[in-house]
Formats: sequence, C-alpha cells, structure tokens
Amino acid sequence: MTSSEPTTSDQLRPTPTDGYPSPTSRLQTATEDILRAHQPSAGTPPILNRNLHIQYLLRNLQQGFPERYTSQDASQTWLLFWTLQGFSTLGIGLDDRTKQRRAPSIDTLLAAQHPEGGFGGGPGQLAHQLPTFAAVSALAIAGRPGPGGGWDEIDRAKMYTWFLSLKQPDGSFKVSHDGEVDVRGLYCLLVCATLLNILTPELLAGVPEFLASCQTYEGGFGSASFGEWAFREDGHAPDYSAPRPTLGEAHGGYTYCATAAWALVQPYLRLYYAPTPAGPKPAPTISMRGLARWYATMQGGRAELGGLRGRTNKLVDGCYAWWVGGGAAVVAGMLKEQEDARAGAEELQEGAEAQNEGWEDEEVDDSLLNRPALQQYVLCAAQHPAGGLRDKPPKHADAYHTLYCLSGLSAAQHRVVPNASRRATLRSSWDADKARSMEGSATASSSDGEQSLLDELRRESFVSALSWLEEEGTEQYVGGAVNRVNATHPLFDLTVTHAEGIMAHFYGQTLPVRRPQPRPRNKPADA
Amino acid sequence: MSAAFDDSSDEQQLYAADPEWADVVPLQQYEGVDPIAPIFYSEEYKDATDYFRGIVKTGEMSPKVLKLTEHIIRMNPAHYSAWQYRYKTLIALNSPLKAELELMDNFAIQFLKTYQVWHHRRLLLGALRSVDVAVRELAFVTRTLRTDTKNYHTWSYRQWILAHFNDEARLWPGELPWVEELLEEDVRNNSAWHHRFFVVWQSGVRRDEVDREEVLRRELAFTKEKISLAPNNQSAWNYLRGVLDHTHTPYASLTSFVQPYTVGAPSDPEDSIVDLENPRPSAGAELPSLPALEFLADIYEAEGGDGISKAVRIWKSLADEHDTIRKKYWEYRIKDALHGAQ
Ligand SMILES: [Zn+2]
Repeated sequence: MTSSEPTTSDQLRPTPTDGYPSPTSRLQTATEDILRAHQPSAGTPPILNRNLHIQYLLRNLQQGFPERYTSQDASQTWLLFWTLQGFSTLGIGLDDRTKQRRAPSIDTLLAAQHPEGGFGGGPGQLAHQLPTFAAVSALAIAGRPGPGGGWDEIDRAKMYTWFLSLKQPDGSFKVSHDGEVDVRGLYCLLVCATLLNILTPELLAGVPEFLASCQTYEGGFGSASFGEWAFREDGHAPDYSAPRPTLGEAHGGYTYCATAAWALVQPYLRLYYAPTPAGPKPAPTISMRGLARWYATMQGGRAELGGLRGRTNKLVDGCYAWWVGGGAAVVAGMLKEQEDARAGAEELQEGAEAQNEGWEDEEVDDSLLNRPALQQYVLCAAQHPAGGLRDKPPKHADAYHTLYCLSGLSAAQHRVVPNASRRATLRSSWDADKARSMEGSATASSSDGEQSLLDELRRESFVSALSWLEEEGTEQYVGGAVNRVNATHPLFDLTVTHAEGIMAHFYGQTLPVRRPQPRPRNKPADA
Repeated sequence: MSAAFDDSSDEQQLYAADPEWADVVPLQQYEGVDPIAPIFYSEEYKDATDYFRGIVKTGEMSPKVLKLTEHIIRMNPAHYSAWQYRYKTLIALNSPLKAELELMDNFAIQFLKTYQVWHHRRLLLGALRSVDVAVRELAFVTRTLRTDTKNYHTWSYRQWILAHFNDEARLWPGELPWVEELLEEDVRNNSAWHHRFFVVWQSGVRRDEVDREEVLRRELAFTKEKISLAPNNQSAWNYLRGVLDHTHTPYASLTSFVQPYTVGAPSDPEDSIVDLENPRPSAGAELPSLPALEFLADIYEAEGGDGISKAVRIWKSLADEHDTIRKKYWEYRIKDALHGAQ
C-alpha cells in the first residue's frame, strides 16, 4: 500500500526560521535543500535496492573490511552483528547464501569472549557491555545448541559475576572496569541477562530507579544521571530523595536503550515492588506521556522526508529510523498493553464500549509515528546508490547505518506488539523446573519464598519478551510488498524467531506453535 | 612523559624491529581461528596491537606501555582497552596526572566525538581531586564547545564536573551567564537549553537562588522572551514545559502569553498594548506556531469538560492541516483525552 498524501498547508513547508536565523536553522535549511532533490517523484514508487544491499553485506562478510574500519577494531562483534542481522532483515538465512559462514562466524565471536566473563570488541580486548551485547545477539542469529554451536560455549556464570562486579550503588552499571556509566550499557546487560536466563533481583536492584532518573524534562532520556550524592557511606539504601540530575540532553540512542530497558524491567517492577512482608518499596515511575510526545516530536517534516532526528533541533539521520522508530514501537507496544488491560476491565462493565466515539474501530495503525513517511526517508534518502545505507545524502554507506536503516524500515513496515493470547499460551506451557535447571547465574536462593519469587521473575521475563508478535494485517509497504523486509523484535532488534530460538534453549522450554495473530475487533488495513 | 611518542617527525619503526621491545612476546589477534569479516589493518596498527596484547597478557606496567598505548590511541581513539590499560599504568607508575591531562587537550580536540577521550579525563579528574583542575577543565570545555556546540560527550562531561566537585564559589557561578551567551549565539541550541535546566533546576539550589519563586519568574520571563524571537523554536517551548512541570505550575497560567502565537498572523503592533510580561511574536514570526498550538491544546485538555472539545479541535487542525506528518500522534492524543474524559 502507499500512503495517500494529503495536500495541505504543511506540504514540503521548510522548517520555519521566523525571520531569525541561527547556526542551527542555517544547517537545517541547507539539509532540507539537499533532501529536496530526493523527494519521491510522483508516479514512481520508491524501490528497496535489495540485491545491492545483499551484495554490500556479502562483500563485507566475505572480503572483510577495508583499513578505514580500524576505527571499529574495538567493535568487531558489532560489525558481525550488523552484518548478520542485516541479512536476517533482508530475509537471507545463514543456511542459504551464506552457508559456509556459520562456523567461522561462531568461532570469530567466541574468540572475543574474555576469560573472566563477558566479551570484548575482539580477541585480547577487555570485556565491555556493548560488544557483549553484540556478540550474544550475533550468536542468537548464527549459533545453535550443542558443541561448537556457540550457545553452550557462552560462559554465563562468569558473565554474571562480571556483570555484578560492574554494579554501582545507584543501580547503574559501568560498561567495563574503569569504564563509564550509561543507559546503553544497562540495556545491553539487560538484553543479555534476559536472553541467557541470568536475570536476578540482585542484578536488578536499583535499576528501575536509575532508569527513571535518566528521563529529562523533554520526555526522552539522557546518557546517565549523577547519583553520587545519593550514595550513603554504608553502601546500602541510596537516598532516593536526593536529586539525580541527568547528564546530557534527551537523545535517540539513549532513549531507545532506556525505553527498551524499562520494558524489560516490568516483570521485576510488578513482582518486587508489590507490598511485601517487609513493607512496600515505592516503585519509580516515568512519564509515558512525555516519552510518547518526545518520540513523536523527533519526526522531521515532509521537507525532511519524514526522517527521524536524535535530539531536538538536530538533523534527521537514517540510523534514528531504528533508535527512535524502534523505541517508539516499544512505547506503542507498552501503550497497547495498557489499553488491552483497560479494555479487558471495561468489557467486564457492560456498555462501556459505546462511549468510545468510534475511535477504537476506526484505528488500524495506532503507532505514534508516521510509518509511511519514515519508509520514504529510508528508501529515498538513506540508500546509497552503490549499495548499503547511510545517514543522509551525500554521505557514504557504512555497516552501522546499513543495519539501523533496515531495522528502522522494518519497524515502519511492521507492527510488533505484546499479544495477550500468546502471553497466556506461553504461561500455560511454562515448565518451571526446566527453567530453573537451566538458570545460568549459579546463584542459590536462601529461602523457599525467594526461590518461588525468582521462579516467577524468570517466567514473566520469558513470557513478556516472547509475547511480542507481529499483528497480521497491519503491515504497510511504501512502494509495494516488493520492498518488504522481515519484522524485528522491538526490544532486541532480532527476528522473533531468533529471539525465540535462543530463549527457548536457555530457559529449557518447548515453545507452543505460533499461529497468525489477526488484530481483533478491527477492519483490515487499507480498507 | 618526556618520551611521549611523536608521530609527526620520523617514521615509526615497528615494535618487532625495536630492541627496546625485544623482551615482549607479541600476540596475534586470532590464534587457530580463521576470522570471518576481518578488518585489513595497516602493518603499523597490527604490529602495535600485537605488542599490546602481549603486554596485557604479562601485565607489564612500565613507561614504554604509555608510549605504546598512546600510539594505538592515536591510530584508533575508540580502543577502549588501550585507554583502560593506560589509565591503570599511569596510576601504577604514579605518573603526573596533570601532564597527562595536558597531553589529552590535543587528543580531545582531534578526537572530539570519541567517548573514551572524555571518559579518560573524567578518570583523571576523579583521581586528581582538585577544584583548581576542575576550574581549568570548565575553561577547556568552553573552548571545545565553541567549535562543536552540541557535542554530547563534552556536555555530559561538563555536567559531571559541576556535580562531582559541586563548588558553590568557583564552579557554578559562571554557568548561567555562559549559557545565556550561547543562546544569544544560537537560540536553537538544545544542548544549551538542557544545560540551563541542569544548572537552574536539577542539581540542587544555588546559594543566591534560594528564593525559588523569584527563580521561576526569572526563567519564565527569559523563556518567553526567547520564544518571541523565534516562536517555532521547539527547544525553548520544551524548556518552558519543563519548568512548568518541574514546579507544578499550571500551563493555564500562560494562556494570555500563548494565545497570540496560535493565530494565523502576527497581530498589528499598533493595536496591541506593550505587555512586558507577555512579549508578542516578532515581526518575522511564521504563525501559527505549532508548539504554541500544542501548548494551548494542553491548557484546554487540563481544563476538562468543554475544554476537551476545544483541545480536540486544535489536535484535529494539527492532524489535518498544520502538522500532518504527526497525524498519528495527534489522533492518539484525541483518543487518549476522550478516554480520560469518561
Ligand atoms: Zn547516524
């Protein structure tokens, strides 16, 4: 389907300068001038140059990276993740065109594992949260169970000990020993711990408070907060009333990480902040409204082809198609969950539905962003004519932008949201004993009560993560279905199938078959 | 640090050929693994990192390690392991950290966008524990922000310095006048607006700002004035919202300020009385200002009752006419408000 673009007063309107130009507005105007040449021409649907991008990725994988990628020497696991996930998004499995690449990919990734836990950017490098995330994610794609498969070679007990060694009194984590604290590292840690079944209350203590303190007045999240004022000498019980100012303004990369992290800690928030015998612990909150607004304001106007920016008054950039587009998808999913809960409650009270003034049934696509416009940016401005994708013209393509433009395109095409019936199915097929026996942190709980709470945390983390499914009938393809890329899980940027595979393994579960999930109570898309 | 590596004069000879390094066993990156998607390093980089891996393995911490890590960092400033090992070596050798900081000045300017450059400084400052050094750092940061006014790492580093040393007399007082200068140069610099929020609202109360009512008045006046210059500047509107939210001030208290920004054209200056508290849109303003329309809708929504339908009318005009790119978002607001109104 294509978007029916209304002719309105804001069509291609340049961003207003109010007769008061400044360095920011001058740069903005110059960028819009460049993008103007990339506006889609009427009658010619934009095309995803699929084969060129596959060639680009294959060239990187088979021939390696030229010398200028030395700047990515400490990100080798990332280079592999970007490449492998790029293939997944384009629908290329490791078993067809890249068949001989599976074993060397696994060996290369495992060579970056640090003897004391976690992964470095390459062999002999210090363990660091970011390359650890990239290695685990890449192994979710390339790996499999059994000897040499990569999964069972991940030393989870050591990784867990290393995670704990990075923990700070305010709930945050350093990215490496002597490294910085920020929400990227925290997101990376939470994804690894969730995928690998090493998520514990010990690891999560203080995490929601830290995350909440990173939300800025704009609604998005900054890099970190300053918590040292809140550290007490005894090393326990931080003073939550002390100010924890955000370091750095709201930013797309950090906001994605914080949003997804916030979704990942929901089971912990529900289970461990409920009133306990020891007394209720006040649950930290974030402003979901402010966050939703922030995401929406990151979308550029039509003069910017609907691309996404990473900060207020900065330029649009292809990689934010994922950081902002994917983050907005997480928020849309969380809002849908709230909506489902509310609708469930309403259905109990008869007659409540009549009050909806028709909105519910009219709406098919209740995302926060303009999905067709975002696709247009990726297709018209972010594709490099020689293959690979980029920030914006006239820049070169690179491995990072290639993946995140494709992931952003995917988030704009598909709607992947928590599904209540999948959640119920996953819960009912849950095998707690197997999950416990596969637990990888090698920590022992002291009491039965703690153990059963931990069992619940494990189940809910598993169920919540894997309840995200594509809603059939809500996909939108600018330029037609020929431009389709695979759906990606908004919390992980893996396909749902890859997330299921690695989690089923590490939680010892047999997953019930997925059935197509039609959207209930709604007309089909493009009616 | 006198032996600091100089990359400009003579050609670097490989460590493999250097007698000083004969006692170190270089370590290849991949042993017994045929890596997929390798990077084609220069001979110089490969040689240096082979020796670095050798050093890490034996745990040697010596002056020549400082030379080696500096060399690697100059070729690849994102090599976080080289940075970390360098820091540990500096501490182990009891090296003069101020000299290291000075060496870093040139790095920071060359590799402005790299995380590690700024984090290393933070480690050094943490170890030096000196307000004098912190004062010097603020001046350095001011200089670098002149060339890259929105550098994220530089800004968060500055905020860390202020919070960490928290010196009422020597660090905080210059911040507000400086932010004003920056906003004078570029009223749309969102980093500067965020910094203002950090300084005024988020990091405790300054000695001369205990009268919070007065601070609120000052900030509202300042922001309104900036909005009047460029009414479509999202940064200023976000700051305004931030201040109101933070102080629990109802948006409705600004209704008469906002109204003139929501109409189609600037009003005739002749028939408007000059109201110092509510500066009007400048002559060049492109109206209606979208952030003003959004703001007014929020005022109406908070009113409830009839206000909701007034808010809905504005959101519909945004969705269908003024801001069609965000149609989905405005529709979400309408849906949300209608739900909440039940
Ligand atoms: Zn980018």
